[in-house]
Amino acid sequence: MAGTNPAMTLESVGLENHWHESRGLFGPNLPVPMDYYLQQLAIGLSLGMVYALMAIGFTLIFGVLNVVNFAHGEVYTVGAFAGLVVISAFAPPLIVVLLVVVAVGALAGVGLERIAFKPFRRFSDEASLKSRAMREATLMSSLAVSIVVREAVEIGFGSQFQTVPLDRLLNSPISLGPVTIVSGDVIILVVAALMLGGLQYVLKRTNVGLSIRAVSSNPLGAKYVGINTDRTIIWTFAVGSMMGAAAGILVGLYYGAIFPSMGFIPGIKAFVAMVMGGLSSIPGAVICALILGFSESIATIFVPSVWADMVAYGFLIVTLIFFPRGIFGGARDRV
Amino acid sequence: MALLEVRDLHVSMGVQEILHGIDIDLGEGEIVAMLGANGVGKTTLMRALSGIYRVRSGTITLAGEDITNAPSHTIVARGLCQAPEGRQIFATMSVRENLVLGGGPQGLARLDEVLPLFPILGERMGQAAGSLSGGEQQMLCIARALMRSPRVLLLDEPSLGLAPKLVKLIFDLVAQIRQQGVSILIVEQNARGALRVADRAAVMEGGCVVLAGPAAELASDPRIVEAYLGGHVAG
Repeated sequence: MAGTNPAMTLESVGLENHWHESRGLFGPNLPVPMDYYLQQLAIGLSLGMVYALMAIGFTLIFGVLNVVNFAHGEVYTVGAFAGLVVISAFAPPLIVVLLVVVAVGALAGVGLERIAFKPFRRFSDEASLKSRAMREATLMSSLAVSIVVREAVEIGFGSQFQTVPLDRLLNSPISLGPVTIVSGDVIILVVAALMLGGLQYVLKRTNVGLSIRAVSSNPLGAKYVGINTDRTIIWTFAVGSMMGAAAGILVGLYYGAIFPSMGFIPGIKAFVAMVMGGLSSIPGAVICALILGFSESIATIFVPSVWADMVAYGFLIVTLIFFPRGIFGGARDRV
Repeated sequence: MALLEVRDLHVSMGVQEILHGIDIDLGEGEIVAMLGANGVGKTTLMRALSGIYRVRSGTITLAGEDITNAPSHTIVARGLCQAPEGRQIFATMSVRENLVLGGGPQGLARLDEVLPLFPILGERMGQAAGSLSGGEQQMLCIARALMRSPRVLLLDEPSLGLAPKLVKLIFDLVAQIRQQGVSILIVEQNARGALRVADRAAVMEGGCVVLAGPAAELASDPRIVEAYLGGHVAG
């Protein structure tokens, strides 16, 4: 029946028709209890944090290279599968799983840069730097890598959902007054907040972070102060991919859904957050990712969850028409 | 042997050759000016020296070490720094961060030596570099290059777009920087100012050096006076 809503935007994290029964259904004419709004806000927060982790990877890489990394969604997938493999083999505590996944993410990022991006940076004269063909070639090569990785994972693991050990699912309920959330909401929030805080520290206080910001701000100027721009780009991929891989395993364990094409939808949502935030602003991307998460989880109260994806695309269209430079405007620190 | 030696430097953009064999010698503590109109290849020369553009043939030697086609970060680490055309500062970052980046691994270690030359920057440390005035940005650009304690400083059009009072200030600064033991290669369209501070000068036309000599001699050479100083030699 039109107007009923299965509560949560599962598609938004790459999963359909699977959710805890505690998230109820409301008919079009039934009043929505206040608690339910609070509950959806809590879910929206963790959803937004996942988008934020993803969006940061996009934004960092766009900042230093001015190209979109279409393989970012596959880094998320690789992170989830790496975590699952580690869990199946050694069953270590979650923190160890996360550390391994982050390391795998960093390696995946470095490999991706080497294969899909570096070969197109051989030409450093002005004509090539400004060439659109060059940028589009990089875009296509990252898309190609993403397809190869997705298919490779599918050959290795099959296209169906992987079995996640039940005890590793992050779904033990936690009651906060009238609101019931699950442990995954808290863990995602804490891990994402720690990673965002760590990223701010790296970007503001470390040489690597300053170099990343310098290359984003002025690539030519970076060369004149003696920054090794190639190495800085590799670092950027490593840092951005760490975030994406962590998001992948967290969501995988939250929903118990790990499958080869799981990175596609979150990749698109993160891309929307990046565009809304102004393409190269990390604070902008994080804020817009949170707005997106909240809007999607609140929207499911009023529309069927299959429609919740429309929220993100609606935001994208509104942004492109009315705020072509992002909703926070133009000139700003690019990273 | 000169500190910076450039021999028969050829640089091409695509199929077009821009520099057709340039020779430069820059001695220890010397200021050499490269003069010339727009489009004669001055900035191309400077970018090739800093490793931004590839050299097709010829050699660049810094203190006896060959730095031809070395990566830009290696050239900076060897002690050749540039305040480039268009300033290329990090506009979205603070003045302090610009200087930290200029210092590279040394960070702000040289701040106490550099800042006295640019007192205005001391008052602007927390401000975004892009919010500075044109003159202040030019000073930041030069200060940033000095933070790495270079042996050779390249200045590409430091006076471009500045008010006459600031132009004088910049050329005075160039003389002061030399007193700290830095050798300077300066590219300028403002021939009068450049010849005032330089020891030697060369005039470029169409990617070649067409005239070279001591700055004082060039300043009174009728060809220079007519073409670049806007006047005639008296008598």
